[in-house]
Amino acid sequence: MSDRVDLQEFVGAFVAEADELIASANGLLLEIEAANAQGGSKPRAVRDLFRALHTIKGLAGMIGVEPIVELAHGLETLLRSADRGGGTLRRAAVDVSLQGIAAIAERVRAVAEQRSVAEAPDPLLELIAATDAQADRRPAMTPIIAEWDARLTPGERHQLGSALAAGAHAWTVTFAPSADNAERGITIVSVRERLAALGDIVKVQPRVTPGAASSIAFDILLTSEADAAALAEAAATTFDRVVAVSLPVPAISEPAGEPEAPLLDMSDEGPTAIGRSLVRVDLARLDELQEQLSLLIVSRFRLEREIAAHAAQGHDVRRLSEVAALQGRQLRDLRRAILRARTVRVAEVLEPLPLLVRSLARAAQREVRLEIDARDAELDKAVADRLLPALVHLVRNAVDHALESADERVARGKPRTGTVHVRCSEISGNRVEIVVEDDGRGIDRAAIAQRVGHPIDDDRELLAVIAAPGFSTRTVATRTSGRGLGMDIVKRIAVDVLGGELTLATVLGAGTAFTLRVPLTIAVVDVFSFECGSQAFVVPVSTIEEIFELSAEPAMQPPMSAGTASPVRMLERRGHAVPVMSLGTLLAIDSGANARKAIVIRRDGAPVAFAVDRMLGRHEVVVRPIDDPLVKWPGISGATDLGDGRPTLVLDLAARGLVRERRV
Amino acid sequence: MNRLLIVDDSKLMRDMVAACLRPLGAVTFEFAATGLEAIERLALASFALVVLDLNMPDVGGIEVIEFVRSQDRLRELPILIVTTRGDDESRARVLGAGASSFLAKPFAPAQILDEVRKLLGSRRADT
Repeated sequence: MSDRVDLQEFVGAFVAEADELIASANGLLLEIEAANAQGGSKPRAVRDLFRALHTIKGLAGMIGVEPIVELAHGLETLLRSADRGGGTLRRAAVDVSLQGIAAIAERVRAVAEQRSVAEAPDPLLELIAATDAQADRRPAMTPIIAEWDARLTPGERHQLGSALAAGAHAWTVTFAPSADNAERGITIVSVRERLAALGDIVKVQPRVTPGAASSIAFDILLTSEADAAALAEAAATTFDRVVAVSLPVPAISEPAGEPEAPLLDMSDEGPTAIGRSLVRVDLARLDELQEQLSLLIVSRFRLEREIAAHAAQGHDVRRLSEVAALQGRQLRDLRRAILRARTVRVAEVLEPLPLLVRSLARAAQREVRLEIDARDAELDKAVADRLLPALVHLVRNAVDHALESADERVARGKPRTGTVHVRCSEISGNRVEIVVEDDGRGIDRAAIAQRVGHPIDDDRELLAVIAAPGFSTRTVATRTSGRGLGMDIVKRIAVDVLGGELTLATVLGAGTAFTLRVPLTIAVVDVFSFECGSQAFVVPVSTIEEIFELSAEPAMQPPMSAGTASPVRMLERRGHAVPVMSLGTLLAIDSGANARKAIVIRRDGAPVAFAVDRMLGRHEVVVRPIDDPLVKWPGISGATDLGDGRPTLVLDLAARGLVRERRV
Repeated sequence: MNRLLIVDDSKLMRDMVAACLRPLGAVTFEFAATGLEAIERLALASFALVVLDLNMPDVGGIEVIEFVRSQDRLRELPILIVTTRGDDESRARVLGAGASSFLAKPFAPAQILDEVRKLLGSRRADT
């Protein structure tokens, strides 16, 4: 076996794990900031943050992305000193960390998109190095528990101290692993998880126990409201191995802040909890799976046609039909299973919003609270990826334009802090409804009517006006939103791209709510775009056999059997006669005189070519069905948006009607 | 067949180490995501070698080494530390605690493979 191993095969996995670590780091920083605002601290979050950066640094080093290593290293140093100093991270250090992580995220994107990775900016590295992590007020280092004291780091001691000062109880629980326990699935990992659900783990310490049945034991120090019996059960141990830790009170001299929220979700999120039953899969692989599936469905249609043809010849096809029906059901199940594999939790999709609101609020000097309520709603990843920019736009508008300044709000008798509420729920018809609502100033319909010079009767008309391209209510550019409201983009994503709907409800002085209703899932298709008769069309890549230059091919005599008005001529291609039809003539939009390219498909096993003007490119698009009966035409299977905001028709060149109807 | 335990809190890092060691051929890999899990597995089963990260939640690599060396049964178990902390002080601390060998991240696949081969070879010569 060769000794050569190439770590570049892990680049995709690196991007996925780095993205996860970055999201978790941002979340931890927001938690730390929230604790700071209440005069408390989050030592455990500081430690987890340190570890996240440490891991990013190690992984980036292995993959060979030096700028990320440099940035992560700077932040790691900053956070280590914060952990050693008692686990507080002051505001300036939080800001610098957010900047540093944003710079890392940017470079991870570059790796993902195979762009060259920008150097780590020196000013930022210097800023990180110059930042002092610790709060001005240092926690006192009072000894807390004699038996543990020597084993705790300052951060852990502080965590324990603030919990005790807030009235929590501390316990030492001992767990002895054994082969027996391991067989029943009781391991230190599962015990740790169960205890973390009951309280707040401060430290776990292995201990050698010579002479005992098991050669090791783990001492787990935690703070918890649960009683000894519950803890003993969680640790699969006996009563006598759960010891209440006595403490000299007051344990800590600083004024106690808010008691820390239970850290269970954070400590649960370690790699021990994840990773067991979850496998990350590149979306491209799922797309590939789906594409293979659609090919399978196409070949199944062909099978059905063959069976029908046999039946027409008087053969007995009952057994065949049964098998075909069974296969059809299995294909549908397979399709459902693949769709399920593609879904993501909406709560996860909305993860970037808190960070966004934080920076927007700061730039706009607003006091904003973001409430997200996504429950267990799930979405196709392809929908989620397209939807997020629209939501970002709506949230940005809410913070920048809708919410008043704190003073103005107080003057109007509203709470100082404005609220942006993002709600998501599944509704009937396989759709989700997402509402972005603010309690700001509302949209002034009369003022806008005056600006556009015609009356606006209701919210529906108002939406039509503000979602028109280029519309702006602002004459002064704000730093974050630029000039326009960009509602045209939101509408295009919701309606044209995703085939959903967008509605608006606004009350002057009280607030605005935008509601998006979009399908849970969409089909993404790989297509070629081309021009024919100065119009753009697309055709699925999977249906195309080849594309060739027309002028280079020797023409043959037109077939005598076809109608005289037939737009068909014959070309020789790889030794076979291939009928070439002018697509412009078939669609009655063009004479076909400018056709330079031929697209070859296979129909009933034989190649057929269509002459078009020129090829434009290759895209991944969302295909929407066409419901308008006026546009129903054989060979037109749907419509899509190539990004120019205009509908582009999707052609099914193999459709029978496309040729036959035009021929007669 | 030799069993190797790879301990790291990053799944990707565990996978990469295993990929680097694939050319060893006849070994099976087992994985632990935390120092705690590593200690438990080492206490309950036999391994030919441990590849160990230093920085992990709750119980770090140093504590794992200390535990391993405190057990008669494991006194000779080869421990290869892989860490981003490549400085001399860390190296001294790690080797002082009883690690068999030390490799700084990032390392080339061939480096860790050589190191592991050396450690497995010397063990075979001893016994």
